[in-house]
Amino acid sequence: MKKFFTAVLFFMYIFVQGQQILGTVSGTVQDTSGDPLPFASVLVERSKLGVLTDENGFYSINKVPKGKYNLVVSFVGYGTRSVPFEISDRNSRVSLNFTLQESTENLDEVTINGKSKETKLETKGFAVSAIKTEEASLRNIQTNELLNTTVGVKIRQNGGLGSDVTYSLNGLSGNSVRIFIDGIPISTYGNSFNLNSIPPSMIKNIEVYKGVVPGYLADDALGGAINIVLHNDAKTNFNASVSYGSFNTVQASVNGLYRFDKSGLTVKASLFHNYSDNDYKVSGRSVVVTGLGGVQTPITARRFNDAYRSTGGKAEIGYTDVKWADQFFVGITGSDDYKEVQHGAFMTITPYKDRFLESDALLGSLTYQKKDLFTKGLDVNVNGLYGKRNRVVNDTVSWAYSWTGERAIDFRGDEYQYTWRSQQEGGPTLAKIKRNVASIRTGVSYAINNHHKISANHVYSGIDREDSDPLQSVLENTFLGTRDLKKNIYSLTYELTAFDEKLKTSLFGKHYQQKTTSVDPAIETDENGNDVIVDEIVSSNKNYDGYGFAASYEIVPNITLLASAEKAIRLPDETEIFGNDGDNVVANSSIDPESSENFNLGFRFGNFNIKKHDFTISTNVFTRNIKDRIGLPIETSLNVDDELIVYVNQGSGTSKGFDAQLNYSYDNNFGLNFNISRYDLKIENQGIEIDVPNTPFFTMNGGLRYSFKDLIQKKSRLNAFYNLYFTDEFSFLTAQGSNTVGNEFFSVPQQISQDFGLSYAFPNNRFIVSFDIKNIFDEPVYDNLSVQKPGRAFYLKLNYAINKF
Amino acid sequence: MKRTFLNLKTFAAIIFTAGLMTACSNEDDTVVTPEPDTEEPETEEPVEPRWITVAAAKMGEDPGDGNGGTLIYSVTSEDAKNPTVSIEPFENGFIAPSNRTARLQSSEDGKTIFNISYAGDTGGNYTKYTVEGGQTFTPSGSEVSIAPYVGTAPRWIKLFDGDQTGAAVYVNNENEFDENDAYTRTEATIGVVTLDLVNSSIKEFQEHSVPLSAEEEAAGYYISRIDMPTLNAAGDKLYIGARLNKVDPATAESDSDFEILGSKTIILDYPSLLNPSVITSTVGHGNTNGYRSINSFEYNGSVYQANQSDPEGSYILKIDSDNEYDDTYDFNLDDALGVEGAYILAWRPAANGKAVLAYRHDGSAEGVAGPQGFFALVDLNAKTAVKIEDIPYDPDFYLFQYQGFVVEGTEIYLTQGAVGQNGNIYVVETETGAVTKGAELVNVAGSHFIGVF
Repeated sequence: MKKFFTAVLFFMYIFVQGQQILGTVSGTVQDTSGDPLPFASVLVERSKLGVLTDENGFYSINKVPKGKYNLVVSFVGYGTRSVPFEISDRNSRVSLNFTLQESTENLDEVTINGKSKETKLETKGFAVSAIKTEEASLRNIQTNELLNTTVGVKIRQNGGLGSDVTYSLNGLSGNSVRIFIDGIPISTYGNSFNLNSIPPSMIKNIEVYKGVVPGYLADDALGGAINIVLHNDAKTNFNASVSYGSFNTVQASVNGLYRFDKSGLTVKASLFHNYSDNDYKVSGRSVVVTGLGGVQTPITARRFNDAYRSTGGKAEIGYTDVKWADQFFVGITGSDDYKEVQHGAFMTITPYKDRFLESDALLGSLTYQKKDLFTKGLDVNVNGLYGKRNRVVNDTVSWAYSWTGERAIDFRGDEYQYTWRSQQEGGPTLAKIKRNVASIRTGVSYAINNHHKISANHVYSGIDREDSDPLQSVLENTFLGTRDLKKNIYSLTYELTAFDEKLKTSLFGKHYQQKTTSVDPAIETDENGNDVIVDEIVSSNKNYDGYGFAASYEIVPNITLLASAEKAIRLPDETEIFGNDGDNVVANSSIDPESSENFNLGFRFGNFNIKKHDFTISTNVFTRNIKDRIGLPIETSLNVDDELIVYVNQGSGTSKGFDAQLNYSYDNNFGLNFNISRYDLKIENQGIEIDVPNTPFFTMNGGLRYSFKDLIQKKSRLNAFYNLYFTDEFSFLTAQGSNTVGNEFFSVPQQISQDFGLSYAFPNNRFIVSFDIKNIFDEPVYDNLSVQKPGRAFYLKLNYAINKF
Repeated sequence: MKRTFLNLKTFAAIIFTAGLMTACSNEDDTVVTPEPDTEEPETEEPVEPRWITVAAAKMGEDPGDGNGGTLIYSVTSEDAKNPTVSIEPFENGFIAPSNRTARLQSSEDGKTIFNISYAGDTGGNYTKYTVEGGQTFTPSGSEVSIAPYVGTAPRWIKLFDGDQTGAAVYVNNENEFDENDAYTRTEATIGVVTLDLVNSSIKEFQEHSVPLSAEEEAAGYYISRIDMPTLNAAGDKLYIGARLNKVDPATAESDSDFEILGSKTIILDYPSLLNPSVITSTVGHGNTNGYRSINSFEYNGSVYQANQSDPEGSYILKIDSDNEYDDTYDFNLDDALGVEGAYILAWRPAANGKAVLAYRHDGSAEGVAGPQGFFALVDLNAKTAVKIEDIPYDPDFYLFQYQGFVVEGTEIYLTQGAVGQNGNIYVVETETGAVTKGAELVNVAGSHFIGVF
């Protein structure tokens, strides 16, 4: 490893000799009273370069080629200013600060030229939500919470911080949703580096593609994809934050980047640490203490075996904005987590004690990005990851515990051990899964001109899996099988922009190839009559194709029609192909992937600016038509004793519904957002269609923000936030007759949870303090039947940031 | 601030509008208006008829899987026998609290339903209900759970001791190795709990290692599943049915296609649940743990036990009052029915030694949820079995999940109905073999009926 880095550093040194440097222009925009103006538009005239200022009124435009330009700054309700500047060999970093005066002219005539990155993404035709993390990263908000408030996305978490999460996009969930970090499947990173642990401050933005996934994120994403884009700017900065709150929850993060302006040498690092006891109060039908004879007494208990800790980070070294690369980094990602498990999928009367999961991962990474490589319009993007990750399940305590956290007593009044000698039924375990993981995504795109662009993308991901359990014998460990899975997914995209950029289309094809291999040691007799151990190798190699398109048309300015469709597939996973070693599920190498025809049709109205009002409305209606769903057949008298159950393709399914979202702001002080999402999810099997039970089909989220300037100190800013989350009641059970009784037993009640937060930015903008109350009214909330989530909680967070050294 | 307030109002208005939308669509969903109880349970007659509680299993994801809820609905035995009466458990029933198909039992007089919830957050919870007719089942007694002893997916059955006791069982397996890491045997630890059905409390729990013979163990055999505890006639022994599995001693991986050993039963002292022993039949080969309905019954001083997955077709085996298999009693269903591969899915004798038996065989049609089922009339003394031809059969009629028969004198009540099709209650007079078609059972798509209680 050491040698590897030495070599890499050496090459970087060589590369750097005689680079032509692209320039950077940066600075701040403020109003006449000295307050920063966030989201002001800053454009380099006669170029395509432009940004919006951040919360602190700061902007930075990189990769400005040598030459003389005008920098144009504008903001709704304020005038427009234009200042000339020059990028030259001697002066590649230009600093320009602006003060804008409130405009007295007719405001309707002031328009913003250029769209924010998010707006651009959302008007390409895909059903996509782009989530900014800037604001959330300063508050006590976790990445998962941020996603959950996104239209069409539903997160279901089995408890507090660090507990299992499932993601649903327009009703499709589980394996149907693929999650990426910078285009790399998140499974490569393992459990310790996931959306539970990565702080929003490491994340630049999150893209959520529903149903139709663009070529550059190609994977077997049947229902859509979530891509976490980590920060990739090339500007020296440093920020740190620490948050403390209810349930002894600590969350800390540090992010820093330093760029040597002369050489472009850049070092960056991010660290995070999360800890929570998760000892929140729970009650309900299974939270009871049993006494003599098994008599049950309901109690309100604190969860006692639910602590979570995760620590991790990423360090990278490389070059930014040099002639041969916009970004070139090699790096290391390390992470480690520990999660106690209080109960299984349900909260039962037998809570677990000292069952826990540990995982860790150590991965090397390589990033290369270059726009206009060799020739104008040719962009190259490479992102790779290689390493190891491990996961251990630890469950060795045989004594029974009660919800008080103390040893439970049996009907005689004696402490007792479970017959299965572990907390979860199934016996003691120290099962360890070692995985070698690798994933690399390569993208090349070429813009023939302003109208035509073609791009090709390839992603490889491979997992070699090896299981062992120190509690099992040498013999049993010897005959445990290994499972390898290697996926190659190729995509080709053609993008057409026409009619003054009113029409944007993207046409793509995808090719999926998956090779899976199972190696099961077995005993055979050789020619000399001796028993020898041989590996029984079964492998399957499958190829499939998919295709789709996305198109947007701006009918009139600010009203855009968006349509997209894809024939998507989900490849069967290793369990579905090979079964689980030790389970009575066996291989079915002829299993087909699940496939789905996905359609989205939407409108986007906005961004409209009327006086100081600013609003956007977007809607989407969708259908998903799934075929060849993979599942296990039902138990019959023929297979009840068998070792021969295989996963099969059975039945079809549909999800139909709509999403709508409203964003409104007034005078940059007041903000309102609201979204609503509703769908019907049905499956059909042997001609019988049912509504899929256990589905939160109707959700709404609303948020209000108000910004007070100079409230306590001059040049300070106080933001107040209020959020409301609503999930309608749904049943764990299939829809019943109209006159049945007892339905309430299976009901997951309606959830209404409200959060309130304050964040205060000190005048120099370096310190921001945030205070949040979550679930203000201490409502019992459930994502899953009877698994209660945390009640009211308080958090305080300190943020420190410097953008200039 | 005034402006903010106005905007808050706007926000409220939006939420209100959205609320209206929900309300509207809810109305759309409720196409059928709830109808009042059609059945009035109270009858004018002086002799109280027995309640017949119909159990129905709603489709979950797959037709016939029964995972979409277990619904029960009670009618009088008179109504049950009346073919003009129509029963709609899926429309009007009570949903027994259980994540997967509830495991139901009833008192002998039919006035009480006992349920132990299967899987989910309340798996192992015991509840009992007073049957009051129709969808009215009034909970009685306090909450108690057997989950701490036998897990959240317990195998339980009511003992025939005047509705006093329920018994549930669990088995845990662990492979054992010598100092050279060679496989020696598989340990089977059984847990047995008895439940006081009257007072809703745990009576007794014991845990035992239950070894097989040294020879069987060396070959890799072990008891992998147990179920169906039954009291002997003297009430001093509890018989527990067992399934055997086998590992390959060379690899410690599970074996398939192994030689099926003689049927086995675990015997414990009752009520102490001590002194386990294992008895083996030389007549039957196969499992004795049944599936979801009681698999062995006491009759005339002996316990008659069905076996399953017997290579020769199911047998009814006999355990005598000396607590040993009576290997002179040879009652093979293949022979008696003249079929191949008979498999007893459920059965129930009346006090006269004549029983109704649900079975399938190799010639069964492959229906939507597995092989087609049939009913037969069985005579334990004469060792005869005759297919009941007066009950209509359909390829989609399957009985694997069948749970309950009601015995009233020499009559036995049962439910008939193919997956997704309407059916009927049938009453079999075991003395004469006469079959009476009873009340109609109204079905819904993918669902089926799992018996009467």
